[in-house]
Amino acid sequence: MHTVERIAIAGVPNCGKTTLFNSLTGARQKVGNWPGVTVEKIEGTFPLQKSRVELVDLPGTYNLSPDTEDQKVAELVIRNGEYDLILNVVDATNLSRNLYLTMDLKERTNQIIVLLNMLDVAEREGLEIDIEQLSEELGVPVIPVVAVDKVSVKKAVKCIERVVADLPVHDSHASTQEVLDTVKKYSHIDMICSRVARERKDRRENLTNKIDNIVMNRFAAIPLFLVAMFITFWFSIGLGSVFIDFFDILGGLVFMDIPERMLDAIGSPDWLTVMIAGGIGAGCQTVATFVPVVFFMFLALAILEDLGYMARVGVVADRFMRKIGLPGSAFIPMVVGFGCTVPAVMAARTLTTKRDRFMTIFMAPFMSCGARLPVYALFCTALFGAYSGLAVFLIYLSGLLMAILTGFFLKNTLFKGTPSHFVMDLPLYHAPRMGAVFKSAWLRLRSFIRRAGVIVVSAVFVLSILNSIGYEKGAISFGNEDSQSSVLAYAGKAISPVFVPMGISKENWPASVALFTGLFAKEAIVGTVNALYVSMEMIENGGAGKAAEKKEILDIGGSITEAFTTVGEGLVGVVSSFDLLGLSLIGEDQQTVSEEIGADNSVYVHIAAHFTVFSAFAYMLFVLMYFPCLAVIGAARQEMGGYYAAVMAIYSTLLAWSVATFFYQVTEGHNIFYIFISIVTLGFIYGWLHLLGKKEQGVRHKVVAPLPIVKKCT
Amino acid sequence: MALQTVLTQMQSGITYQVIGVDTQSVEYTDKLYKMGFVEGTPVELASAKIGDPIVVHIRGSRIALRKNEANQIRVEEL
Repeated sequence: MHTVERIAIAGVPNCGKTTLFNSLTGARQKVGNWPGVTVEKIEGTFPLQKSRVELVDLPGTYNLSPDTEDQKVAELVIRNGEYDLILNVVDATNLSRNLYLTMDLKERTNQIIVLLNMLDVAEREGLEIDIEQLSEELGVPVIPVVAVDKVSVKKAVKCIERVVADLPVHDSHASTQEVLDTVKKYSHIDMICSRVARERKDRRENLTNKIDNIVMNRFAAIPLFLVAMFITFWFSIGLGSVFIDFFDILGGLVFMDIPERMLDAIGSPDWLTVMIAGGIGAGCQTVATFVPVVFFMFLALAILEDLGYMARVGVVADRFMRKIGLPGSAFIPMVVGFGCTVPAVMAARTLTTKRDRFMTIFMAPFMSCGARLPVYALFCTALFGAYSGLAVFLIYLSGLLMAILTGFFLKNTLFKGTPSHFVMDLPLYHAPRMGAVFKSAWLRLRSFIRRAGVIVVSAVFVLSILNSIGYEKGAISFGNEDSQSSVLAYAGKAISPVFVPMGISKENWPASVALFTGLFAKEAIVGTVNALYVSMEMIENGGAGKAAEKKEILDIGGSITEAFTTVGEGLVGVVSSFDLLGLSLIGEDQQTVSEEIGADNSVYVHIAAHFTVFSAFAYMLFVLMYFPCLAVIGAARQEMGGYYAAVMAIYSTLLAWSVATFFYQVTEGHNIFYIFISIVTLGFIYGWLHLLGKKEQGVRHKVVAPLPIVKKCT
Repeated sequence: MALQTVLTQMQSGITYQVIGVDTQSVEYTDKLYKMGFVEGTPVELASAKIGDPIVVHIRGSRIALRKNEANQIRVEEL
């Protein structure tokens, strides 16, 4: 008897493949990655022939000589013959497009069963299909199924069990016919379709066409598109950030405060408490604060995708995105980037080619995120007065320009090669299936926590310890956070000469120390600058370095109540105001701003004393562009691998320095040497990317040639 | 002799058939072939018009194509 252990589901995008997979496997799923690529691999099991068999959902592909990363995975898996049986899901409403893949599959293996999905929809649309005839023409078993209907799926499984027994002997090389070229395949398909499908003359214009007439109307398209983008942004950032404080406070309680008290209680040494509560705990808390925005962003994207609108976004935005060498669909990550760069980097997943994905990820951090705004608010309030709004606008605009510049840079250096041609299949619209949508968002969130979490926690761990350890008069001490005596402060002071060309004097070292804490999250710059200026003042006044530092009493109940209160307040805020960027901060008086961002009033005096208008603007430019926060690098590493994440970090920091220096020297510094150096740096960046691109192309050629064919012999 | 033109010059409401793809790019030709733009395949302009890219109906799907790329696809009236 014929037994199968491993089954793969193959089909074209949007044929109902994943729905069927979910119906078959239920909750028994695990998500991983296909080896060597960042394409999701979703596996599960389901009962067949009285045992549970493994089932894997292959990425949707139109054929087996595909050009995108995802689809190559499908090809490779089938080529390697790792699976005993291929279930080819075919959308009955669109036989001619779906059968091409079936023809390709037939050339590779004879262990195929076609599952004819959406017969009900086809019938409603006035299409009749002769299933027996189709099976005869194709030479493979054809089983009808309605993937959304559990009863129908059960019946199909019974059919599969019967049919599997009669499949010919497994032989991946003995294809049933000679290999046909594309044109011949299609003429064969046309012949099959004409024999098996009868289209009633009155096949009515379907709902999708009607919606498209509105959504893709010459005049309505752009306004509707902007509304859709706004809703996406509102949903992922607005709604997501409602929960940020909740996760921040609860995360702080669970990962930092409680462990700290417990460690104190059992009398653990200071260094251990710092490492566990201040290091690992702080890292976990950082990851926790990103959970809500990442989840809501994935949810928003899953809904857009399931709805069928995602492909339309690609079409509507294509006209201006193509100018920077990207397809229209790259627009979404850019929009999300104005809220938070982490979900933006992850949203780039929806793009098909590796080049487009990587370019988008490199550009996304230049969209100024919400965490950078408090920094602008602080500096603008201190120095720009009535012109604050204009200054912030110019910063956002500079970010956009830098993204475009990055696009041009990368297009000609690191990610050379022809931009992909635009041939986009627009799927049918259908109401989002909430169950599937939530599941997809949850699975992706889990993979973010696992993969990006590791790098974020370890980086925060190291930085927190450096921020806590102090070395004074030959003694090592802990608990020096945001003070002058931490190792981080020494490092900041040591590195401050680097920032002199952009207008930050050596005496203004708190500004350079803050750039280190800004690596956690850019809004941390506000806290550090605030604390360091205050402690600087105390020393100048002869006061003790650390006054009033008493550990507050841990109030677990209070923290939890506070956490829930923030959700309520946030929800009210998000519903009653459309100020998602928090721009209302700009132009407020100093008192209000300092309350909002948690700084002391005296900090403005220090900022005004240490900065000029131009050096403050240069500093803001630097903050906008330099090393995206650790969570972004964690996400970028997950999406592109460590190498490209490192290139991105170096690239953005060098660019930030060069632009900030150029700006400061041209406006105020007037030092020809530094202007020259900043231009040379820009040239150096370009040359460096160019070299990396050349190297990469060499590597690529090597990899493409020999792909190992691993055959499973059982 | 049926009227010949290119994909981007099609009139709404008229069904055409693909007669060939004139591009220098093997990649693009291949992609179009795989999506079903082979000789003799009926194609028509979708009623939704956004300008550029254009949307056409072919083999039961809606496919969006950039104008400057799609003008290399030759069609004739059916």
